Amino acid sequence: MESLEGKRGYPRLKPPFPAAVGLYGGPTVINNCETLSTLPAILRNGPDWYASFGTEKSKGTRVLCLSGQVKKPGNYELPLGTPFRTLIYDEQYGGGILDDRELKAIIPGGSSSPILGPDKIDVAMDYESIAAAGSMGGSGGVIIINDDTCIVGAILRMTEFYRDESCGKCTPCREGTYWLTEVLHRLEHGAGKQKDIDLLLDVCDNISGKSFCPLGDAATSSIVSGIKLFRDEFLEHVRLGGCPKHLAHAGAHSALK
Amino acid sequence: MGDPAGSPVLIDGNKVMAEEKTDGLVHLTIDDMPVAVPPGTLVWAAARQAGIEIPIYCYHPKMPPLGACRMCFVEIEKIPKPPQTACTTPVSEGMIVHTKTEKVLKARRGTLEFLLINHPLDCPICDKGGECDLQDFTLRHGPGGTRFDLKKRHYPKPVPVSNEVMLDRERCILCQRCTRFSSEISMDNGLVMISRGFRMEVGTAPDHAFDSVFSGNTVEICPVGALTASAYRFKSRPWELKHVPSVCNNCSVGCNARLDVRVDKIMRLSSRQNDEIDDGWLCNRGRWGFDFVNSPQRLRTPLIRQGDTLEPTTWEQAFYLIATRLGGIAKAHGAKSIGGIGSTRTTNEEAYLFQKLLREVLGTPNVDHHHGSFPGSRDPLTGQPWMMTNSIADIEKASHIVLIASDPYERQPILNLRIKKALKAGARIFIVNEGVTELDRLAQGKITLPQGSTGLAAKLLLATALTTEKAHGQANELRTRVKQEASLARRTLGEETAAQLEALAYEIAAAQGAIILYDEMATLAPNSADLAADLSALAVVTGNINRPGAGVGPLFEDANSLGVRDMGLLSDSLPGYQPAEEAGLAYTEMLQSPDIRALFVMGANPLRHGALPSNLEFLIVQDITLTETAQKADVVLPALSFAEKDGSMTNVDHHVQAVRRALRPLPGAKADWEILIALANHLGDRWNYTGPQDVLKEIAASNPFYSGLTWEGLGAQGVRTGEQEVARA
Repeated sequence: MESLEGKRGYPRLKPPFPAAVGLYGGPTVINNCETLSTLPAILRNGPDWYASFGTEKSKGTRVLCLSGQVKKPGNYELPLGTPFRTLIYDEQYGGGILDDRELKAIIPGGSSSPILGPDKIDVAMDYESIAAAGSMGGSGGVIIINDDTCIVGAILRMTEFYRDESCGKCTPCREGTYWLTEVLHRLEHGAGKQKDIDLLLDVCDNISGKSFCPLGDAATSSIVSGIKLFRDEFLEHVRLGGCPKHLAHAGAHSALK
Repeated sequence: MGDPAGSPVLIDGNKVMAEEKTDGLVHLTIDDMPVAVPPGTLVWAAARQAGIEIPIYCYHPKMPPLGACRMCFVEIEKIPKPPQTACTTPVSEGMIVHTKTEKVLKARRGTLEFLLINHPLDCPICDKGGECDLQDFTLRHGPGGTRFDLKKRHYPKPVPVSNEVMLDRERCILCQRCTRFSSEISMDNGLVMISRGFRMEVGTAPDHAFDSVFSGNTVEICPVGALTASAYRFKSRPWELKHVPSVCNNCSVGCNARLDVRVDKIMRLSSRQNDEIDDGWLCNRGRWGFDFVNSPQRLRTPLIRQGDTLEPTTWEQAFYLIATRLGGIAKAHGAKSIGGIGSTRTTNEEAYLFQKLLREVLGTPNVDHHHGSFPGSRDPLTGQPWMMTNSIADIEKASHIVLIASDPYERQPILNLRIKKALKAGARIFIVNEGVTELDRLAQGKITLPQGSTGLAAKLLLATALTTEKAHGQANELRTRVKQEASLARRTLGEETAAQLEALAYEIAAAQGAIILYDEMATLAPNSADLAADLSALAVVTGNINRPGAGVGPLFEDANSLGVRDMGLLSDSLPGYQPAEEAGLAYTEMLQSPDIRALFVMGANPLRHGALPSNLEFLIVQDITLTETAQKADVVLPALSFAEKDGSMTNVDHHVQAVRRALRPLPGAKADWEILIALANHLGDRWNYTGPQDVLKEIAASNPFYSGLTWEGLGAQGVRTGEQEVARA
């Protein structure tokens, strides 16, 4: 709304909420494409028909945006409550992990949702079950990571995204995402220290719940959950002086010489 | 026992319970202390009222909350997801706020650590060091050290963002106070935020100069050393400065200012919030325009003419010479051959003594100063002396603000900000001017007049207003007077301009409240002798007088322009606008009269406006530097600036305010009041005032506009006074 009004793209102070005072001061309803795309089918077939999909509490369908290391990435509309396994491995949908490697991690609802381990493969994709597993349905952007991927590098990449997407309005998000990126960068590229891992967690704590809008919170999800699930891999980066994958590549190159 | 309105902080918690919902206040508890504040108050302000510091960077009480810096965290019971920001949260009944919980303290430490990761920590060479919120809050709320062990970002610095303001991007904490001042208060977007995220920085927009006369405010509200003033850089450390509360001497607004002084030199002026006058701001002229005080050209000894040159002399000899020569001239040509020209920048006490010296001691009625042209000392229509009928704060309440031949941005800058505040509140602004003004771009209507036609335009406005229903039956003699003039005006101004003016007159007549302001000096323009009277009549016939948000009046030029009128520095009136028994020669008349043999000029420079009287034999000039007029003088008396003396001054909306001595007097010079007393005594009178306070007492006892005022009573913020019965002692 700020951008539409020709101002800097900053989140607004609420209240007042957009439904009361929104664009140019008028009441404004904001919906995303996914919501709007469900409307024609609901209008045509009725609410009962739509509610017949999904689970007891999470009714209806979701458009899931499957990406990452799967054979057939794409947008798939599935009833809520469908297990991750169906989305990832069913030939109609993901068709399995790229190069038939092992599943390492699932990011169930976009990069702002906490990472889930491969043990959560049979969790049903409805809001309650994903929350019980320790993450959230979020945007429905399901990202698949296979066992050939460095989790530190993946988190670095996601954190860079938040650093660049931060509008800069508030201190914790603006400065915190910058600091997190710098620390992750040095872990990945060989100058990391053991204390960096706990430092990352505490910087995340100083951002989470302190930023003006939820973008700051979102930036911390992958780091906090990633360190929880893969602390050993972070430690290995410190011990080896860099990313094991990079080092293996470097070794291969020198062996070829 | 009731809750006294002035002290809503109640110590006894039970009392709060008992008085709930009866006092119109919201009751809450902050750190176990019960607080009662008006609804809508922010938690930050409620805490401050209770004496609890909640650190802030982005929030500024004169601007809407932003919630960006994340420094003012508090915990509020029953609000999920602690902590909350105190600067964006309004109070609510029964709220329980904690400002010092572990969660809050950690969050504040976190924010400060973030703000410092790229900060250069160059406090020892930073102008702000010692009065820096980043330094102070880090000490009080921050972590002792940092965990940031990477390379800090560097930028080229300092970057001049204007001639007056330098930007150090490394020190900037991006609180956006300066850019919001530019967009919300001065409304010129001089400083803007550039880029986003961690690359975000303060700067100027392409092809857009930060040349605002208000730019110094951004330096003052910058909580860190990011914006510094080129006039003050590396001049002083804050802890070396003596702060003296006084009043700016630069224009008639009379902004409250703090003189920051080091070793008898003014280093800078800072704003000293007075919501009735300056609303907390100060313009660059006021902030940095004090060179005349520190000037090496200041006069340090009396001078007397020896042939073609002025030679130093003693005060005794100067007084002796003045007494002898004035006595001789009075004897030879009569007392009326003596004239006195006073100043618009001396204090009320000095102006009072000046006219008293001339009228009572020397016996001449020829007293005046350079001022606008007003028909008599009082408006014949209203019977009121010439001054704004509304207060400065009233401008905010107006529905229409009409600026005729006035440009506050150039002449009374802080009024420009008040008008912009009114604009934000919905006021419509109309500008009638022969030239371009800063406010044109924000005005609903701009009527550009041909050169020299302002007086005619005023007549047309008045004539049109007289045809409206509101004016029905009023001012019939006025009607016949302006009727003919208006048709002349219509012809001279041209059809299009005339139509615009007529539309404006209807708008004023229909306005909920219109404030009509004109520049005092515009009355001196050709065809403008009736300007003041016609505009005053315009306000009267449209009912825009004596009610809130409506008014009319001149915008005076100098710090005490109105005060010296009150004091009777006018050819036709004594102090308090009592008519003089015998009118003396007015300013221009004196300068042109062959009968004037001696002229006493105090703080004025009449040579700027014309030649000296043709038969002048003896010229006394009392000033702080050797002005053009002083160079022609027979005796020059070195005076003191406003910063070196006590006294009162009266601003454009008749606030009588105290100017306080901030510097030791320049050796060799004396305050005007002191000189005047000594002169009176050398001329054979016996004046025994011990200081300006005694003079104010005499003024208060006799001048109905100063009735009952005392030096102590002026306090820190002055008193706005009107005409009252004088209680004669």
